[in-house]
Amino acid sequence: MSNVLRPYLAAVRSTLTAALTLENFPSQVGGCSSSPSVNSIRVSIKIKQADEIERILCHKFTRFLMQRAESFIVLRRKPIKGYDISFLITNTHTESMLKHKIVDFIIQFMEDVDREISEMKLSLNARARTVAESYLTAVSLGIGYRVVTRLKCILWSYSAFAPA
Amino acid sequence: MAPTDVKFRKIDVDAYDEDVLLETELYDPDPRDPQQVIEETKARAAAVRSSLSKGDILGALVTILDNPPYGSNAEEAKNLTLQTVVTVLNSTKATDIPNVVRSLPPEAQDTLMKYLYKGMGMPGWGDVSGSVLLGWHEKLTEVAGTGCIVRAMTDRRMA
Repeated sequence: MSNVLRPYLAAVRSTLTAALTLENFPSQVGGCSSSPSVNSIRVSIKIKQADEIERILCHKFTRFLMQRAESFIVLRRKPIKGYDISFLITNTHTESMLKHKIVDFIIQFMEDVDREISEMKLSLNARARTVAESYLTAVSLGIGYRVVTRLKCILWSYSAFAPA
Repeated sequence: MAPTDVKFRKIDVDAYDEDVLLETELYDPDPRDPQQVIEETKARAAAVRSSLSKGDILGALVTILDNPPYGSNAEEAKNLTLQTVVTVLNSTKATDIPNVVRSLPPEAQDTLMKYLYKGMGMPGWGDVSGSVLLGWHEKLTEVAGTGCIVRAMTDRRMA
């Protein structure tokens, strides 16, 4: 775990532990045959998105997960407005699963999602560079040397200034 | 048939519900007059400044966290309180935090937790600094436990 995130994730962990003290409580509405009122907790996460590539990756990644929401049980199909991904933990979840494991799962998710997105971004940049280089090699057979050098310069300056 | 009159859709049906839960039923209203609360809070902010100039962090925190403003008509007093709390938190050395937190009375710990969460919900507001709040939150949770967070979350007399 990175040092910058540690206090943040520690605060999230203790807050979640406190919030997950959910129990069944009897319905206020007597005579109605509905199931008892239940408590639930919704956790919404906004993922760090520093630039355009991270925004695209984040969108694709969360969409991939949310389309498979039923496999993750506590994941919602749609995030709350203003956030990227939402979990809904109901009392049945806290009954059938271990509470500290649910907290661990969400913390683990928050740690992993940042790492996952920066890894994808790195490989995306590397791939773009390779594609461009092989494209230019092909082009250089047809076009003069000067054009290719100029294009390569643009490419290098891009890779030098592009955020890693 | 074309829909002609759709005004009925705008009716606030919740207002006719006998079981509707109003904020006023959740807690007893603050007996103090809103204007009086603001005056009190301003007086306290001044007292906090003089405590801070003497280096008395604990005294400053106890002053501002005692009998805090609550209710929907005390927004101004609440914001002033948050601002004062943040000033105290920012001017405390990280090594002093555990002792200060341990010496706070339990009610003040709960109120401090409420204001920590309020501050976290308003990043960049005034002098609010995320890392300072997180540092205090960690120390306060170590001392007062999860119960303190639960009380801060469930108390409807919100900060």
